Amino acid sequence: MLKHNLKLFFRNIKKHKIAFLINSIGLSTALACVLLIFLWVTDELTVDKFHKKDSQLFQVITHYQDPDGTIETGDFTAGLLAETMIEEMPEIEHIVASRILDDGLTLSIGKNNFKAKIHYASPDYFKMFSFDLLQGDENQVLSDKNSVVLSEKMALNLFGSADNMIGKVVELEHDKKYQVSGVFAGTPSNSSVQFDIILPFEAYKEENDLVTNWEVNTVQTYLTLKEGTSIEQFNRKIADYAYNKTKEASPFSIALRKYSDIYLYSKYENGKQVGGRIAYVRLFSLIAIFILIIACINFMNLSTANASRRLREIGVKKAMGAKRNTLVFQFFGESVTMAFLSLIIALVLVWILLPQFNNITGKQLVVDFGVRSIAVMVGITILAGLMAGSYPALYLSGFKPVAVLKGKISNVVGELWIRKGLVVFQFALSVLLIVGVVVVYKQIEYTQTKNLGYNRDNILYVDVEGQIKENLETFLDETRNIPGVINAGSIADHIVGGNLNGWVIDEWEGKDITDRTSFQMRAVSTETIETLGIEMKSGRAFSNDFGTDDSKIIFNEAAIDYMTLKDPIGKTISIQGTKLEILGITKNFHFASLHEKVNPLFMVLQPSWTDKVMVKIEKGREQETISKLEGIFGSFNPGFPFEYHFLNQAYEAQYVSEQQVATLSKYFAGLAILISCLGLFGLATFTAERRRKEIGIRKVLGQNAVQVTVMLSSEFAKLVLIAVLIALPIAYLLANNWLSGFAYRIPLQVWYFIGAGLVALVVAMLTVGSQAIRAANRNPVNALREE
Amino acid sequence: MLLQLNNIFKWVQSGGQRIFLLKDINFEVEEGEFISVMGPSGSGKSTLLNVIGMLDDFNEGEYSFLDEPVHQLKEKHRANLYKQYIGFVFQAYHLIDELTVYENLEMPLLYKKISGSERKAMVADMLDRFNIVGKKDLFPTQLSGGQQQLVGVARALISKPKLILADEPTGNLNSKQGEEIMDLFKQLNEEGVTIIQVTHSEKNAEYGERIIHLLDGRKVGG
Repeated sequence: MLKHNLKLFFRNIKKHKIAFLINSIGLSTALACVLLIFLWVTDELTVDKFHKKDSQLFQVITHYQDPDGTIETGDFTAGLLAETMIEEMPEIEHIVASRILDDGLTLSIGKNNFKAKIHYASPDYFKMFSFDLLQGDENQVLSDKNSVVLSEKMALNLFGSADNMIGKVVELEHDKKYQVSGVFAGTPSNSSVQFDIILPFEAYKEENDLVTNWEVNTVQTYLTLKEGTSIEQFNRKIADYAYNKTKEASPFSIALRKYSDIYLYSKYENGKQVGGRIAYVRLFSLIAIFILIIACINFMNLSTANASRRLREIGVKKAMGAKRNTLVFQFFGESVTMAFLSLIIALVLVWILLPQFNNITGKQLVVDFGVRSIAVMVGITILAGLMAGSYPALYLSGFKPVAVLKGKISNVVGELWIRKGLVVFQFALSVLLIVGVVVVYKQIEYTQTKNLGYNRDNILYVDVEGQIKENLETFLDETRNIPGVINAGSIADHIVGGNLNGWVIDEWEGKDITDRTSFQMRAVSTETIETLGIEMKSGRAFSNDFGTDDSKIIFNEAAIDYMTLKDPIGKTISIQGTKLEILGITKNFHFASLHEKVNPLFMVLQPSWTDKVMVKIEKGREQETISKLEGIFGSFNPGFPFEYHFLNQAYEAQYVSEQQVATLSKYFAGLAILISCLGLFGLATFTAERRRKEIGIRKVLGQNAVQVTVMLSSEFAKLVLIAVLIALPIAYLLANNWLSGFAYRIPLQVWYFIGAGLVALVVAMLTVGSQAIRAANRNPVNALREE
Repeated sequence: MLLQLNNIFKWVQSGGQRIFLLKDINFEVEEGEFISVMGPSGSGKSTLLNVIGMLDDFNEGEYSFLDEPVHQLKEKHRANLYKQYIGFVFQAYHLIDELTVYENLEMPLLYKKISGSERKAMVADMLDRFNIVGKKDLFPTQLSGGQQQLVGVARALISKPKLILADEPTGNLNSKQGEEIMDLFKQLNEEGVTIIQVTHSEKNAEYGERIIHLLDGRKVGG
């Protein structure tokens, strides 16, 4: 029986090659798509979940109360929090203060220099986080403030071997020496924090006196709670803990959030968790489901169409004594076999596409053939097969043999409606995806081309480190003298990246004394404003020609607007007891991503605080200029690796997830349309086939080929139009919703929607048209003679 | 007695009106008979054949097959009954295009839980008997109409039925092919198989021992 069914299956494939091709292309691309998304989603969902204490592991976050009543949430806390809380709160098992530096520092042994990403953490770190310690004792590795724990890779880089590392000495920034106390395996790719070495938090504390100040939040605090502790109760207990330690700061509270939630649920609005990356995870899961449904619909449609051709087989078999369940089994068997054939093709596709996919998503996904993945793959495949085979298997097999053999069942009204409904559904989804792609692309394009208020082209930056720190002005002068360099200046914290710090201005003319709004501060050298092309609205930029500019301050427009100062130039404000005179006002520039409004910001002339040298170079002379810059850098800092970055790339890095979404949805939309069209093509072929006699009669009665073509095509055009009408309002709502995440966004234009509709319509018509024309040009005699 | 129909009525509802397809049909069939059913188009010939073959229901009356009351049997039981005792021959042959001659013959046996080796023997026997051994690997579309119907008859016979129901078996054939099929039926009948055929042709009807005439669903003679 199985052999018999298999034979029929393969002979049917041979006979209806096009249907088979449509089915297998559609289903296998859809399955490939689903598998890729599955890999991505699984990876996203497992980020940070590998820590053994995941269920007890929390981060302390801070909710700041703004003067206007809203709550801003940040993940920094006071540096002393960890030390005092462990003393006073018995619920806490372990707690660490930590700080990851944004920029790498130079780590060296002899002549080997490497930039290393630095993580400072208190002694209990390895007891809480499951970064495997290969050498060293987890109770000891971070207890001495001169010790360092290296990643295995860093150890290999530095020493050429990772064996017996303990006791060896490495040098940081060619300045301080640290003794290796342990080696850890490295940070896995599904860890949200990535670092090369861990230094004791004590070492950080020693160099940053702000850490011991309860008034400023500069470190991150992580803790594990003892099992059985109620998180709600604990949150209530600690809410005012940090605030009570401060003297006069504006009200804020602290709370815990689960460590493994940070990655996917990072977004807070008004103190409430409102999602984050999880939105994209959900979006893509939904897309995967939709694509699979579309492909299954095709499969179902086509196998129904084929099954109608096979009605005779069903009838004869029934007349010969086949029971219904044997037929049900046969049809399900066929669709599931088909699905498995598609799975094999899909796996090949995944294998081909995975590198590209990894490239887009910035992940290192691999197809593993573990029990779980196989179970999921087989599960999805069987589901798709059953879904696709359900209609012929359950419906057609129920017919009475006589009715079937006499051809009494031709057009069941319900069946027709289902087919039409399915086409509408498919195209509505496709239109939705097209609009999505257009909107995301347009917004990304907008972020690329919007005038940011500064010029990020051809600017590169290097870290202020080593001897450059002490001789910054000399370094800047020498850099400016390089022939290809237009200008150079230095800055503290970045020109991109948003709200990197917060300073309260204590006094300005007419200030409400309770207002504790924080301003962004950027310490700069002279020429920085000019180098970045930031425009002055009034007053002037910092200059060495006057000698007194270090007691001056420059605000951005947003800050002046906030303070409502009239004729601000020359007026005095005060920050932490220091009086500063307003020297100038810059036009607003976007130092944060376009998701956010431009916040109040000020600049002060404090070259010694700066950490990045920005160099504007001439277009076309990049290479020689950079190599000269490297020479100067090397002369100041022998032994430091020369690393530079382009400002452009740093800017674009702010939109990585949007870029990924844009690229991925482009592919997925293309796929959805392709699969929908395959389905439509199949359906059109089938319809033309079934209406052969009707077309024959019409032609005999005088309808010409053009009229027949129009008649056949318009039927499908109507369906696609309905789909467009359904999809567009939904698309509008979704697009608007996504764009509302940007403070600066494109307006939604009518043509995005009309264009998407037209694309769907045109593609659909091209698909159907060829079949319609073919059907219309057949000789009617052939069609009529058959009966 | 092979089967007996008593007061069989069959109708369809159309616009609040009953349209009778079969009206008060009574007749008996003994084993070994060869019966021809005749009548103009729409007189209910095929419907009667389908009722006898249990492929179609009727609305009123009694039908007993080998002393089993068919009208009281459950679907499953009925299916077993016709599977075992009845073979069908169709006007349009109704061979499955995707299966070879051999496989078409084997197909009914697949639904009867017959072992593979036995199936092989039965099919070989049938191929032999109908002289179509050389054609066993051909597909139906590669055969002439007469040959296709030959396979159709062979398929009907393979499960050794007591009764063969043939609905215009020669309708799609030319006269020579038709004659061959009718001779075959005659021969089968002589070997003891009961045959009921529906036909338009007076000449073919003559093969039967008894002719039943239908008109508007009513038996008018025979």
